Amino acid sequence: MKLITFLIGLVLGGLLLIVPLNQSSPDGLESLRSLAVQLDGRKKPLDTVAQETVAKIHGSTTYRFAEGDRADALSTYLTMWFNTRNWNEEPFVLVSYRPLKAAVGLDVDRKQFTFRELMSNSELGALVGQAHEKELNEVELSRNETEALTVESRLNLLFQAVGDNNLPIVPHPDDIKGKWAGLNEATALYAPETAAPLMANFAMMQQTVLQGGTTHLSMIASLADELRSALQQLSPKIYPAAAGLNREVHFNHFHPFAKAWWLYAIAFIAMLLSQWIKRDHLYWAAMGLFTTGLAVQSYGFWLRMQIADRPPVTNMYESVVWVGFGIAAIAFLLELLSRNRYYVLAAAPLAVVCLVLADSLPAVLDPSIAPLVPVLRDNFWLSIHVPTITLSYASFALALGIGHVALFNYLLTPQASQRLKLLSQLNYRVLQVGVLLLTTGIILGGIWAHFSWGRFWGWDPKETWALIALLCYLAPLHGRLVGWIGDFGVHIASIVSFNAVLMAWYGVNFVLGTGLHSYGFGSGGSDLLIASVVGLDLLLVLTTVARHSGWLKRQALTPADNL
Amino acid sequence: MPPKIVRFLGSIRLAVPLLIAIAVVLIGATFYESEVGSLTVQMQIYKSPWFGAMMFLLAVNLGISTLSRWPWKGPRKVGFALTHWGLVVIIAGSAAVIHLSTEGMLLVRTDAGPGQQIRVQGDLLEVVAPDQSRQQTDIFIKPDGTVHPQQFAGLQLLGYSERTMKTVQFTDNGQVDNVAVNLELHSDRMGQTLARWLAVAPAGYSQMDVGPAHLEIMQAADAAEQRQLLSPPAPPQSQLGQLQVGDRTFEVADIVGQPQPLRSGVTLEVVQVWPDFRLDQAGLPGSASEAFRNPALQVKLSRGDQQAQWFVFGKAGFEPVRSGDAIDLAIAYDAPALRPTDYFRVVVTPDQQLFYAAAFSKGFATGELLPGQAVMPGWADFKISLTEQLTHAQVQRQIVPLMPVAPGTLANEGAPALHVATAAGQDFWLPWGEPTSLATADGNYFAAFSPKLLTLPFYVKLDDFIVERNEGSESVAMWTSQVTLFDPQTDTATRRRVWMNHPTWFRGWKLAQASWNPGDLAQSTLQLKREPWWVTGLTWTGSMLIVLGIGVMFYGPAIAKRWRRWTKTATPEPSPETALPETEPATTIPILAVFGK
Repeated sequence: MKLITFLIGLVLGGLLLIVPLNQSSPDGLESLRSLAVQLDGRKKPLDTVAQETVAKIHGSTTYRFAEGDRADALSTYLTMWFNTRNWNEEPFVLVSYRPLKAAVGLDVDRKQFTFRELMSNSELGALVGQAHEKELNEVELSRNETEALTVESRLNLLFQAVGDNNLPIVPHPDDIKGKWAGLNEATALYAPETAAPLMANFAMMQQTVLQGGTTHLSMIASLADELRSALQQLSPKIYPAAAGLNREVHFNHFHPFAKAWWLYAIAFIAMLLSQWIKRDHLYWAAMGLFTTGLAVQSYGFWLRMQIADRPPVTNMYESVVWVGFGIAAIAFLLELLSRNRYYVLAAAPLAVVCLVLADSLPAVLDPSIAPLVPVLRDNFWLSIHVPTITLSYASFALALGIGHVALFNYLLTPQASQRLKLLSQLNYRVLQVGVLLLTTGIILGGIWAHFSWGRFWGWDPKETWALIALLCYLAPLHGRLVGWIGDFGVHIASIVSFNAVLMAWYGVNFVLGTGLHSYGFGSGGSDLLIASVVGLDLLLVLTTVARHSGWLKRQALTPADNL
Repeated sequence: MPPKIVRFLGSIRLAVPLLIAIAVVLIGATFYESEVGSLTVQMQIYKSPWFGAMMFLLAVNLGISTLSRWPWKGPRKVGFALTHWGLVVIIAGSAAVIHLSTEGMLLVRTDAGPGQQIRVQGDLLEVVAPDQSRQQTDIFIKPDGTVHPQQFAGLQLLGYSERTMKTVQFTDNGQVDNVAVNLELHSDRMGQTLARWLAVAPAGYSQMDVGPAHLEIMQAADAAEQRQLLSPPAPPQSQLGQLQVGDRTFEVADIVGQPQPLRSGVTLEVVQVWPDFRLDQAGLPGSASEAFRNPALQVKLSRGDQQAQWFVFGKAGFEPVRSGDAIDLAIAYDAPALRPTDYFRVVVTPDQQLFYAAAFSKGFATGELLPGQAVMPGWADFKISLTEQLTHAQVQRQIVPLMPVAPGTLANEGAPALHVATAAGQDFWLPWGEPTSLATADGNYFAAFSPKLLTLPFYVKLDDFIVERNEGSESVAMWTSQVTLFDPQTDTATRRRVWMNHPTWFRGWKLAQASWNPGDLAQSTLQLKREPWWVTGLTWTGSMLIVLGIGVMFYGPAIAKRWRRWTKTATPEPSPETALPETEPATTIPILAVFGK
């Protein structure tokens, strides 16, 4: 191996991590970022509150003010919190669903609207009223009505966030789980003479920003320091440790999962180029980059587990990121064993797709950290059953990737029989890993079900689909043993059977919508998009099969020769 | 050499189609389940004999194929045997779990005594035939209303209805004067004919609602009352009702939104009127309809700096909800009564003649009610005619299924019942949960269609139900039942705590937290489950065999090879049929090997 080039790859990856693509220098607002807020069932830094609030209302974590400067989540949030802009007139509230815009007479080409525009839209108001009435009477809502309720919740959130003196930042005096108070209710928990300076401090910050806009934000640094330490002094035992809050702020700004996909993408390009130029050197450099990607993603998971204090995979968002991680990790291990670059070539794009999807669809895959529902709480099995099952999905996704690499080879270089043979063996090996992990995962699920629901197996749809997915892989693997399908068949099976995995992973919750596993998975959506991607892919498979069969005819081979 | 059929049964040529067939059935079953629900799919597919036969065939295939590879030499064959026998064991275990375990729900309350009877899924039919023989069976009802089994204890089980009600027949052999009429309601447009009995006594039959219409019968004591009953309804006196504040009365319609100064220096303002008050999911007040079913007012009171918000309810016995006690006032809301605007009233005159009065949105009609003469009361195209008239009516109750009155208006009342018929063709409805006597020509049947209950060998008492919330919010973090389990045989009591994912075991039963009632924290529902110990043993053994087997089968050969090379005692083992070509020989742990080169 080329240790030197591998190390160069590692260092290059490390440099990419340290030299940030878009990160501002320290602005003195660290104390505000790490100000603890008790919201939605946990204590989190104000930075997270800002990110979540802005993303939820605006659909993105940055906002461009009319003057043209783009503000990050915290500055945007602070102008709301201090109420220093006319938020009635900022085009800030996201309305994304086009049919809804058309139905209530909004400009369909605009994405964001002002609070006043939406509040004064009587058709939207009527639709929201109708939706509430339907909810009361437990009638199913139309898509427009659901979207209208989403817009209403954004408006509520904006209304609440602007000038919010009830934001719970004042710690409870003695109860670790006690309810925190807003600044203007601080006297309910503390003596007025203790609470008054806090309010004065806040008013001064507000005044400073009011006079100078976002450019004056840096001037409130010392005031913010004072506020934070005063709040901590109120109840030092209850106030969360600075390390934990800073860790979450760091997680918010470090974007480990976004950095990981960048590194995977660069590693992919290097690996692809290594096919033709500087074979060995580029290969090891690519491996070095890939290793950095894996390392930063692992670090991201570690941070997230520390922050949320629970196992890594508890909802759809985490499962998508975890599968991306699994694909990369399994490919990396197998690559080290086989050293023929196909594993990384197949894995990198898939890992990138998973991470980009997780990053860009916050409405479907909600990245915020919320308390777990009781069923998932306090649970040993959650921390082993779900990661195992999702790692098996990752293996099968990797097999899907290898299958595609092979498919392109069958289409473009059908004469390279040596390479095709090798690809089939590589694919078989990943399928083995997947079968082992999926079987183990199903069985671990059975054991959990034995404790939780009182039976090992009960044909719940999620259970059944995991089994169907397993059968979809077992049937071709056994068929290969008797020569019913050959190398080509293994690739086709690895692609077609992945649909069963998709169904087990995503479809049971969103397409079937039944069963006991229906917690913590959001509302779904984008069925059509997924269906069309799957359809296109199957079309590709069909094309290759046709081509392959024709090739067989010309060569007058039987499938058995293909074994 | 085993016979050909045995070889086929153990062959991969059977296994692959069978795996595909099972997968196809399962895919179909999950989609079917999202249509009809779990219970039906469990009965029709997963617990059906043919599905069982399929799984049995798979087990046979796995078993024979493993036996046929004896002797199991080498890690690959050992792994194969472990996996496939493990599968046989787990199939047997899972089948046993589904068919042999007992499961039920137990509702316990902190303010009630210990419970011992659990509700098991499904219903039971118990029949005592005229010859005093007693039989009972499980009843399974499919979503289309058909019943399984179809024959039981000499009775035919014809069907099932979610909604039946007790109806009445009147016969004319009573001791006292009691007028009853049978009215027929007919609509051409809706293609409906309904018949209903009205009787002056008993009181429950003197009036009824049929869809949008209200039918009633009244006995006039004298000519004056007769006149009054036959005259048009008085217009409603008050549109939104009246508000009593101390000794003053306000018309709500006149004062909405207008602050009213009161003598005590208090200013009162009616802010909102909700005819049918509800809280929506966000906890905000709203009105579910325009009918005055649960009328409520939002009232703002102020005196100087003091402010208070009150919710005043129209229903008797509902105290106002107040935001503060600073202002003390006696406020009562006298809401408009929910009166039918459309009614058809039969009036019995003192000399037993029949008249009618029909009120509807567009008018009012009155006249003499004569047999065979149809009256058009003005509700759509309904015609009402008198088909039967009794003067000494006596009630006879009977159960019949509820029919829809008009499209889209199925009455909300009624209880489930089972439809049965005797061999002679006489049919009855058995109401759920009420043992019933069926009089037939052959003698009396006694039949009970009831929930399936099971008595536990111990008692469960809920001592406390603890709900923990997430910090600073109302969302629930965990709920825990604290129970005392009392075993009458040993006369011992044990205290246990049960919460999600943390069941407790007692006398072979597993007690788990199933559900709770957010509106009543004194109650908790526990799931009780029992399965024979060997069933658990089977599934766990099978699980371990499979995981171990797959590991050995896939990775055993390579590990064994490496091990032999490592110990340098190896004679090369022939490569198994589907083994992968080995990567370059490695003598160290692969990851470290990477750095070694």
